[in-house]
Amino acid sequence: MTTREAEWSALLIAAMEGDGRAYARFLGLVTPVLRGIVRARGRVLGPEAQEDVVQEVLIAIHTKRHTWDQSAPLLPWLYAVTRHKVVDAFRRRGGAVHLPIEDFADALEAQVEGDGMAARDSAALIGRLDARSADIVRAVSLDGQSTAEVGARLSMSEGAVRVALHRAIRRMAEMAKGRDG
Amino acid sequence: MKTDDLIGLLAADSVPSAPLHPARIGAMTVAAIVAVAGLFLALAGMREGLAVVMQRPEVVAKTLLPLILFVLVLPWALRQVRPEAGAPHWGLLLLPLAVAVGLFAWAFATLPPEQRFAEMMVSAITECLGLIVLLSLLPLGLLLSRMRQGASVAPMRAGALAGLAVGCGIAAGYSLFCTKDNPIFYVIWYGVAVLLVTGIGALAGRRLLRW
Repeated sequence: MTTREAEWSALLIAAMEGDGRAYARFLGLVTPVLRGIVRARGRVLGPEAQEDVVQEVLIAIHTKRHTWDQSAPLLPWLYAVTRHKVVDAFRRRGGAVHLPIEDFADALEAQVEGDGMAARDSAALIGRLDARSADIVRAVSLDGQSTAEVGARLSMSEGAVRVALHRAIRRMAEMAKGRDG
Repeated sequence: MKTDDLIGLLAADSVPSAPLHPARIGAMTVAAIVAVAGLFLALAGMREGLAVVMQRPEVVAKTLLPLILFVLVLPWALRQVRPEAGAPHWGLLLLPLAVAVGLFAWAFATLPPEQRFAEMMVSAITECLGLIVLLSLLPLGLLLSRMRQGASVAPMRAGALAGLAVGCGIAAGYSLFCTKDNPIFYVIWYGVAVLLVTGIGALAGRRLLRW
C-alpha cells in the first residue's frame, strides 16, 4: 500500500507538471483497480455498462485532479473520487450501490488478472460529442495521432486542437455528471 | 472508445494543472464580504454612537456572535472542495446556538412584557431580512463559483455551509448599521435571515457543485 502510495503520487505529481507519459502510466495503473471495484459491485450492470462507468471515473479523476492536495496522501483522495462517481453512475443507471472503503483496499491488493474488458469498445461518451470534437477525440485516442498531426489535417493550429480536445473532455465530464445529491 | 484509448486521450490533455488553493478562495470570500458590507455601511452609514452602545454586552453579542460563526464555518465550507472531506463537527454549532438562546431568554426575562416584541414591525423585519439576504448574494455567488473548481462529494452540504458562512459574515457587518438591540428581535430575525441564505446556498450548491 505504502509503495503504491509513493509510486502513484509521484506519477500524478509529474503528470500535473505536464508529463503526459507519467500520466498515461498513472491512469494505466489505476484503471485495473477501478475495473475491479466496478465489476465487484456492479454485476447487475453488465460488462459494457461497467466499462462505461470505469471511463466516467477516469474522466472525473482527470478533470478534478487539481483538487488533490499534493501534501496529503493520494489514495484517500482517489478513493473518494472513485466512490462518488461509481455511486453516482450506478444511481443514474437506476441501481443503488454500497461501496465500503474495504472494497477499495481489497481492489488495491487484488492481483490484476488479464481481462478482455480493456479491449471492449465503449461509444457511450464519444458518440454524444459534435462531429468535429468527436473527430479530434477519435484521431488522438483511437489513431494515436499527435495534436500537431490532427492540426495539420484539419488546418487548425496545434494550440487550437489542444483547446478543442480539452473542451471535448470537459464536455464528456459534463455528460457523466451526477444528478441531485 | 476503448479504455486504453481514453487513457491516451486524457494523457494528451495533460497540460500542467495548478493545484486548488482553498485558502485563496477563503481570502477572496473575506474580501468580498468586507467590500460589500463596507460599501453598504459607507452608503447607509453606521449607527450613531456605535462606540457607546458597544459597551453593552447584548449589543456586542449582536456583532460578535455572527462573526464567531463566520470564522468557525468558513473553513468548513472551504474544506468541502476536497472529495475526501467528511461532514464537519456539527456539534460545535450548539455553542453559539446556546449563547443565542441564552440572550433570547435573558431579554425575555428582563424586559417588561410590552417591550419584548415592541420592535417587531413589518418594516423593521423586512429591512433586516431583506438587507442581510440581498447583501449576501454577491459574496455567496462568488464563493460558490470558486467552489465549483473543487470536487465536493456532498454538493448540498457544501452549498449550505457556504451560505451559512457568508450569511453570518454579512450579518456581522450589517449589525453595525442595525439599531435593534433587543436580543428577542435580532436572535429571531438575524437567525431567519442567515437560515434563508443557508437555504439558498444549499439549493444553489445542489445544482452548481455537482460534478
